[in-house]
Amino acid sequence: MTMFLRVLSASFRAEIIKLFRSPFLIALVMVQAVTFLFLVTLFGLTGAFAPTALIDYDKGPLAKEFVKNLENAHHSFSLMFNYDYKKALEEIRHGNLVAIIMIPQGFSKAIAASRTAPIGVVIDNIDTDMSMDIQRALPSAITDFGRNQGFKEIRVESAEKDLIDHDTDFVTYMVVSALVLAALVISGILSGVAVASEFESKTVEFLAVSPIHPLVVFIGRVLAANIVSVIGLTVAVAVGLIGWGIKPLYPLQMAGVLLVSVFIFGLVGMALGVSMKKAFPVASFIFGVALPLYLFSGTYEPERFDGNLLWAMAHFTPLYYAVGIIEHAVLGLKVTPESVTVNYLALAGWALLALYVSWRLTRKNILS
Amino acid sequence: MEITVAFNKVDYKIGTTTILNNISLDIKAGEITGFLGLNGAGKSTLLSLINGLRNQTSGKITLLGTELPSDDGRLRSKIGVVFQETALYEELTTFENLEFAAALYNLENTKERITEVLELLKLMDRKNQIVKTLSGGLKRRVAIARGFLHDPQLLIIDEPTLGVDVEARHAIWSHLRLLKSQGRTIIVATNYLDEAQALCDMVAVLHKGRLLTTASPDYLVSRAGYCLDVECDAEAGEKFIDILSGKKGVLRADTTPSGLSIFLKDRTLKKQMLDIIVGTGKINGFRFRSPDLAEVFKSLQEKNDHVP
Repeated sequence: MTMFLRVLSASFRAEIIKLFRSPFLIALVMVQAVTFLFLVTLFGLTGAFAPTALIDYDKGPLAKEFVKNLENAHHSFSLMFNYDYKKALEEIRHGNLVAIIMIPQGFSKAIAASRTAPIGVVIDNIDTDMSMDIQRALPSAITDFGRNQGFKEIRVESAEKDLIDHDTDFVTYMVVSALVLAALVISGILSGVAVASEFESKTVEFLAVSPIHPLVVFIGRVLAANIVSVIGLTVAVAVGLIGWGIKPLYPLQMAGVLLVSVFIFGLVGMALGVSMKKAFPVASFIFGVALPLYLFSGTYEPERFDGNLLWAMAHFTPLYYAVGIIEHAVLGLKVTPESVTVNYLALAGWALLALYVSWRLTRKNILS
Repeated sequence: MEITVAFNKVDYKIGTTTILNNISLDIKAGEITGFLGLNGAGKSTLLSLINGLRNQTSGKITLLGTELPSDDGRLRSKIGVVFQETALYEELTTFENLEFAAALYNLENTKERITEVLELLKLMDRKNQIVKTLSGGLKRRVAIARGFLHDPQLLIIDEPTLGVDVEARHAIWSHLRLLKSQGRTIIVATNYLDEAQALCDMVAVLHKGRLLTTASPDYLVSRAGYCLDVECDAEAGEKFIDILSGKKGVLRADTTPSGLSIFLKDRTLKKQMLDIIVGTGKINGFRFRSPDLAEVFKSLQEKNDHVP
């Protein structure tokens, strides 16, 4: 046991020295951690806000009421008011606007006199996702407006009952999940590269002829890579808390799941490093699969909206369980049917699997 | 004398390709044994069967009384290995590399032992230098230092002077001789006959996975003959061969692009042969040298017998 700990500590120290002799690498790790937050924010912003010019030719009180209904009608609307028709059309052609909504002159008078008032709409239908947002939002706003104005023809109204006691912003939802994505990418790559480079530089042969199993050295290296990953993630968390104003409901649980994720994804990186034996393919592989895994794992939206097949597949990725825990820790959401405890157990299972694969393959791959 | 490593009818195959064929060999304790052969002869493979990086396909290998393959960590702690490609951690300093190795072998008094080894290999002034900034010769010395840091009973070195300059080469040889004088058993794999002569008590000559012979390096050289290279034109060369063939003490005479090479049984015959040649025709120059490895192989294959 003493020898095990001594080798573990020596490997940890050697890797830490190596990593901190590459300050550029450390800087890149931090940038990479924060980059993911920006990346998913962009997903959220482009998916959630359709920039729409609103031109009010009427300027009457009912037109203003109608604009209020438009603003509340759909989360997708991002109304912009400083446009005339010519300029708005130009911006649509440049891809800066998705639609133009025009309230005609005489709108307020027509409504007051119980006459139908046409609302003009120009839609850039190059992206159906965006144009459908507009097509859904507008009738909804008109219905709300009619109800508020006491239109007799409207006899149906929604009776909303929220599942949880607070709404969650889409971008916040994704940024929280992105923290475990960053943990996967940073810790997986740093650990995988540290282990694969043992094979590339053939130092693994020196380990193999020594009295202790090379896996002990690999774990020491993973722990050192974990330290750098935690530094990178700390920066990302700080950016999330300060920049995005995220207020975790259970901060300790959040810190816990991030630390567990860093360690377990480090072990997964180690298993990949042992399997692939080359640093570049390990890094490319982790980087390449990270985003699809992220999307599979219900991080783009709660898993049940993605369909049963993707949801079932998501169970085979460690990210799914980590997302389940962190969404609960930060936002109080339950995005997986499994409990937080089950999610932790599943992550522990992944750790054991990574250790087993590494143990089985290390000597085999050295001998080959 | 005690046997450190014994090979008994050992084969090693990769798929259907035979890499080592029917090797039987005893390596004695306290000696430097050389595995001599051209590239691809199987020297490094033979070393890797001893250090456990490969397992033999058939036959029996005994290392320090234990049959291989073995997973015994205590057995591995009794051997030190210096790899052809050094396998050092390039981003760490010399001292840090040795410190890491000391942990792997669970050494006590680490700093004292590292200092002792660095002083022995004259590396103290490179102690804090990052390995990737060292020359090839210095890296080899660091690798050798790491190989015997834990005071192994057996030190295995693959190509001890590969890619190092002449000065470093002689320094490495003298360090290895020093280790031998301290009672260690050393196995080296080398391409160079002069290295085997400078270091080894015994050499095992390998060719295409077969053990051609085991003998002392001096015996191999004398068997191939001391070589007299003569520079002359082709016509004179043919004439010299006719005259010298069958002369007592002449083992062989071969034409070369610059004249001919005459292999003599004894160094003392040099003057006698030169007198005959100069009296027969015109030469442009001559030199006397030891045979090279290819010439040793040729002599072994021509005679096709075993040397005691």
